[in-house]
Amino acid sequence: MTGERRLVLEVKGLRVRRNGFTLEVPSLALAEGDILALIGPNGAGKTTLLMALCGLLKPAAGEIRFRGEAVDPASLRYRRRITMVFQEPLMLRGTVADNVEAGLKLRGLGRAELRERVEESLERFQIAPLAARSAQSLSGGEARRVSLARAFALEPEVLFLDEPLMALDPLIRKHIVRDLEGALSHSRLPAVFTTHERREALRLADRIAVLEAGRIVQEGTKEELARRPPNEFSESFFDDLGGPPPARC
Amino acid sequence: MELIANGVNEALRLLVSLDPEVLGITALSLEVSGVATLLSLLVGIPVGTALALCDFPGKRLLIGLVNTGMGLPPVVVGLFVTVLLWRSGPLGAFGLLYTPAAIIIAQSVLATPIVMGITVAAVQQLPKSLHQQILALGASRGQAGWMLMKEARLPILAAVMAGFGAVISEVGAAIMVGGNIKGHTRVLTTATVLETSKGNFDVAIALGLILLAFTFVINLALTQLQQRGKA
Amino acid sequence: MTRLRNLAWAAPAVLVFCLAAVPKPSLILATTTSTQDSGLLDLLVPMFEKKSGCVVKTIAVGSGQALALGQRGEADVLLVHSPDAEEKFMAEGWGSQRRRVMHNDFVLAGPVEDPAGVRKAKTAAEAFRKIASAGTLFFSRGDESGTHALEKKLWKAAAVEPEGGKWYQQTGLGMGQTLNVASEKKGYSLTDRGTYLSLKKNLALEVLLQGDKSLLNVYHVIEVNASKWPRVEAKGSGAFADFLVASGTQAAIKTFGVDKYGEPLFFPDAEKRPATPSGKGRTAPSRGAEK
Repeated sequence: MTGERRLVLEVKGLRVRRNGFTLEVPSLALAEGDILALIGPNGAGKTTLLMALCGLLKPAAGEIRFRGEAVDPASLRYRRRITMVFQEPLMLRGTVADNVEAGLKLRGLGRAELRERVEESLERFQIAPLAARSAQSLSGGEARRVSLARAFALEPEVLFLDEPLMALDPLIRKHIVRDLEGALSHSRLPAVFTTHERREALRLADRIAVLEAGRIVQEGTKEELARRPPNEFSESFFDDLGGPPPARC
Repeated sequence: MELIANGVNEALRLLVSLDPEVLGITALSLEVSGVATLLSLLVGIPVGTALALCDFPGKRLLIGLVNTGMGLPPVVVGLFVTVLLWRSGPLGAFGLLYTPAAIIIAQSVLATPIVMGITVAAVQQLPKSLHQQILALGASRGQAGWMLMKEARLPILAAVMAGFGAVISEVGAAIMVGGNIKGHTRVLTTATVLETSKGNFDVAIALGLILLAFTFVINLALTQLQQRGKA
Repeated sequence: MTRLRNLAWAAPAVLVFCLAAVPKPSLILATTTSTQDSGLLDLLVPMFEKKSGCVVKTIAVGSGQALALGQRGEADVLLVHSPDAEEKFMAEGWGSQRRRVMHNDFVLAGPVEDPAGVRKAKTAAEAFRKIASAGTLFFSRGDESGTHALEKKLWKAAAVEPEGGKWYQQTGLGMGQTLNVASEKKGYSLTDRGTYLSLKKNLALEVLLQGDKSLLNVYHVIEVNASKWPRVEAKGSGAFADFLVASGTQAAIKTFGVDKYGEPLFFPDAEKRPATPSGKGRTAPSRGAEK
């Protein structure tokens, strides 16, 4: 299905329970350089799946393999190789620079390398002029950029994003998507993100998985899904798009 | 009113002339209550943070006990500690009764639940997703706890001030376990009681004012720390 | 921030070390509030500490509590003034030696207006009867102190049961504070002369009855029996008791308070023989045994 590329993440027989809701994923895979979008109506289990993959929710059953080896996603070793960006920006006390370096500091990085990575990340998301600003005083869009910069500075092996473009007004969203796309293609990171925003899902993702009531009802490339929408949600997601958008370079 | 004015005069006179007995009493007060507060921080803040973040059966009961502990009457704590430190008591061999160490022990018992209880509420008040975000940035449980402590710095410093305020102002425990012995365990509060019972009201008021003044200065410094960086 | 953290770890360790370094032998003296409030011990204790090199920890509680502490071995030497309770204490073997130190007297203090007419009474018992029948406010310490014990004895002598009367108020406080309350509320109170004199300037009370035989107030020093409680500082308590009855100390007691109040607060009274025969009989005068 994914050709010759290696699998970064593989899920087998996963069952996760959260607030009386059960998510069942018999199989799911993410290949090197792939960007997977999880779409579906509210309550379908998108965030639950993401949190299980990040080690923030303990699965009731199933196995997760990272680069071919079975792994406990709650373990510190695994959590230091991935990272997640939450729906709300969740700024820490301190400046923008303090926030962006937060994850790096946890890993005990040296001063010089830390500064270099922070600067690069700030540039990539166009927030270098905000470096010394208090993180509590940022607008919604600015905070979003900071949380993205914070994640990218870690250079994770997989990136998870929960509704990264949620509640942003259209103009800001447009710019952030552009920068996010640039960052993703520059780093060739495999990533999994959840979204309601179909335009961005289609723009950023290589593959799409549709969730409904705790199950993946369909998975494949954009083209495959457009041809055979499995349900109403999927149908309305893809209709009136007039054919698939141009392929990503 | 005249009495209070006399008290103010007396307070200034005692301080300016560096009256050795008053200085000694003041230093001992600050030392004993300072150490007790410090010990209560070292226990109360980490344990309070862990209590807030971890889930386990009986968590609510434990937090309830801590909250009850915030209101422990000083004289009752003093009595219990006295019985423990008596020669015939379990800790009698250490000969700690009627020493500053005994007051420190009793005051630590008073301050620790206060610091712990407020810390629990402070950390519980942080958004749950913040804890998860910190873990998702690659923090170990210990690092996450430390970072959340820093995020809750404002109410945690309030906890410190509450703990310190409780012990610097108490007299019931200090009198029981310390004995109010001149030159050894006499602190500002117990000295105030003694001077009042002797009828030296101006001296008693003076000591009270000195206590208030020092407490104000210390809390001002802590408030500076607490409010630092706020817009 | 890290520097502060390091300091935080160091501080308690340093303090525990400092507090632990107290090698001087120490003695626990349990005594009454009247001896402390009068300032007598502030004079005598440093004298003894200098001579003996021993540290004396003076706990001022009522005679009742002092005797209770002695009975538990939580105090080494007692300076109290509750003769009946003391005799019981000695009879039960809790003390190894009991010696007279000094005396003063109790007085009945009250408001200048003297609504109960106490001034006209000839004995203390009569005065108490007058107070009860007039129903005027009387403030008792109510704390099993020596003063309280004598007061109860006098009520008995007056054939009056004061408990339950609205005019009979028990403060549960030391002598000084009880006098403050009595002064404020214009009531009567039984007090030792020493405390009254030292507080006189702030009180609206006068001595209305004095000199009655039944008002004699005797202080004894009791060494707690070390054979009952091995942790008791027997040598130190013996040395302190010897010190109190030594002639030099007795002379100091005689002159104490004269320059301040115009009259002495206490009258030295040490006998050449111990007050009650019990255990060791020390017949030689205590002079020279001041080490």
